[in-house]
Amino acid sequence: MENFSLTRSELVQLTADTFIISFNEWIDFEPIQFIMIETETSIVRKPFGLGRWNGKLAIGVQIIGPGTNYIVQQSVLEAHGPCGKGFVPPEGKGAMIATPACLPMALDLHKRYGCDVFIGSLEELSIEIPFPLVVGDEAFLNLLRSLEGYDWFLVIGSDQMEKISYDILKGKAEVFVSFNEYMACGIGACRGCAKETKNGLKHLCIDGPVLRGEEVWS
Amino acid sequence: MELRPPIVIASGTGGMGEYLKLIDPKHIGAYTLKTITFNPRRGNPPPRLIATQNYLINSIGLENVGVEKFIEELENRVYDELFKKVKVIFSFAGENFEEYLLVAQKMAPYQDRFVAFECNFSCPNVHFNPLSNVVELERMLSELRKRLNVFLIAKLGVEGAFIEEIAKIVEDCGWNGVTLINTIRALHVDGDRIIKGGISGPVLKPIALRAVYEVRKKTNLYIIASGGIMNEQDAEQFFKVGANAISVGTALYKDPKMIEKIAQKFS
Ligand SMILES: Cc1cc2nc3c(=O)[nH]c(=O)nc-3n(C[C@H](O)[C@H](O)[C@H](O)COP(=O)(O)OP(=O)(O)OC[C@H]3O[C@@H](n4cnc5c(N)ncnc54)[C@H](O)[C@@H]3O)c2cc1C
Ligand SMILES: Cc1cc2nc3c(=O)[nH]c(=O)nc-3n(C[C@H](O)[C@H](O)[C@H](O)COP(=O)(O)O)c2cc1C
Ligand code: FES
Repeated sequence: MENFSLTRSELVQLTADTFIISFNEWIDFEPIQFIMIETETSIVRKPFGLGRWNGKLAIGVQIIGPGTNYIVQQSVLEAHGPCGKGFVPPEGKGAMIATPACLPMALDLHKRYGCDVFIGSLEELSIEIPFPLVVGDEAFLNLLRSLEGYDWFLVIGSDQMEKISYDILKGKAEVFVSFNEYMACGIGACRGCAKETKNGLKHLCIDGPVLRGEEVWS
Repeated sequence: MELRPPIVIASGTGGMGEYLKLIDPKHIGAYTLKTITFNPRRGNPPPRLIATQNYLINSIGLENVGVEKFIEELENRVYDELFKKVKVIFSFAGENFEEYLLVAQKMAPYQDRFVAFECNFSCPNVHFNPLSNVVELERMLSELRKRLNVFLIAKLGVEGAFIEEIAKIVEDCGWNGVTLINTIRALHVDGDRIIKGGISGPVLKPIALRAVYEVRKKTNLYIIASGGIMNEQDAEQFFKVGANAISVGTALYKDPKMIEKIAQKFS
């Protein structure tokens, strides 16, 4: 865990609101770990999952408010991390199902574990990606229904997309979900990122962000 | 109490020492632990946080393991590393006056390990406000003073009574210091979500400054200022109106390196 400055190497636009930012610096991290990035728009740093892009350290950012808008405009970012528990998949064949902002995380997971990756987007992407892409809600639901022969799934995206995915996939294999909660410290100090689970309260920044879906939803 | 530098990590914001991963201990005068209560508390249901440029609202609700488990952890040397690196302030509270006494009783044998005990009389996320019953508060202050032989600090808020009146009672009961102020009850509407909690960060600063100013005029207590201290300029203003030390909470979440910058100015 450390404080660092990250200088932007490349900014790639994927859709109207989603970008990949790669950095000149490298920090070691485990899959799905995240960093807390400072913005001028909030007095708390904001979490972003770590990954790779063209061999460099990278994050994907979907603009949903002032902080994400600020982040894509900066050439230098202040942050700390890596935070969270690295995701270690179980034995067997796995697939990650994610939104375009998770592309750097997906590239990293794919490289480390050779798992399949499926990207669900509301719009076409402006670049080619090495993974199957489905566009629109209906296509996404069809994709989920068609996935067979896997031992585990990892779902990362919005709260709504995660719940829908879990409901469709839960009978087919073990489903892991990267959960969202507002965070302040990212290191287990503030107790702000609490999540109710069947095994008691978990703190997503140290016990997660990935939990088994069935721990949270029945 | 001598704190060098005169900078305290605010209770709850720094958890149980986690910020030592990001801050060099030489910049920390004392590290206040998260408030411990008699019974373990799960805290409030999520969502527990919302932040803007000027404030953070938290609804943690004093989540903690309870005093017995905390003592077990102390005995099992869980915090030895922390004690080795920094001076530590123990923070405690209760859901009624009796529970304050019970925690103090349990912790008395361990008091020498701490540079001070801070009694949290002002958590806005718990439905009990000790400052609204001055007679009971005075009895409690005297009882706690009798049972604890340690530097005793009362953490006061601005809801319930004029803070300088309460601080005077604190002094008259033989306590050593006050932390001024705590978060204040607030509410945030975010779409369909409503978050009720305690507000901290820059919006608190003028209120905390006034509290320090008034209490300094009325008492000789050691004053730890708490509320919206985000940088060296804020810290300087609090020292100017009478603080002996400053406490940093929410600013940790914006930039943990800020502690070092403040420490360099006030060492
Ligand atoms: C562990 C973790 C990893 C993440 N990784 C990525 C990533 O790789 N790429 C990416 O684009 N986003 C990621 N996010 C989400 C990202 O942190 C938020 O989108 C960002 O903080 C929003 O900031 P903002 O100022 O733009 O929007 P805000 O104005 O803060 O928020 C806009 C809306 O989003 C909600 N919101 C904001 N932050 C969160 C949150 N953390 N959880 C739930 N709701 C929230 C707010 O309540 C509000 O309704 C991650 C979140 C977590 C918890
Ligand atoms: C997430 C969070 C948790 C807190 N928990 C506690 C606590 O357990 N005990 C306590 O006395 N104060 C607690 N506080 C209040 C702080 O110690 C501090 O007094 C307050 O936040 C004002 O200072 P600031 O503006 O620098 O944050 C908490 C504040 C925050 C933001
Ligand atoms: S974000 Fe602070 S404990 Fe998880």
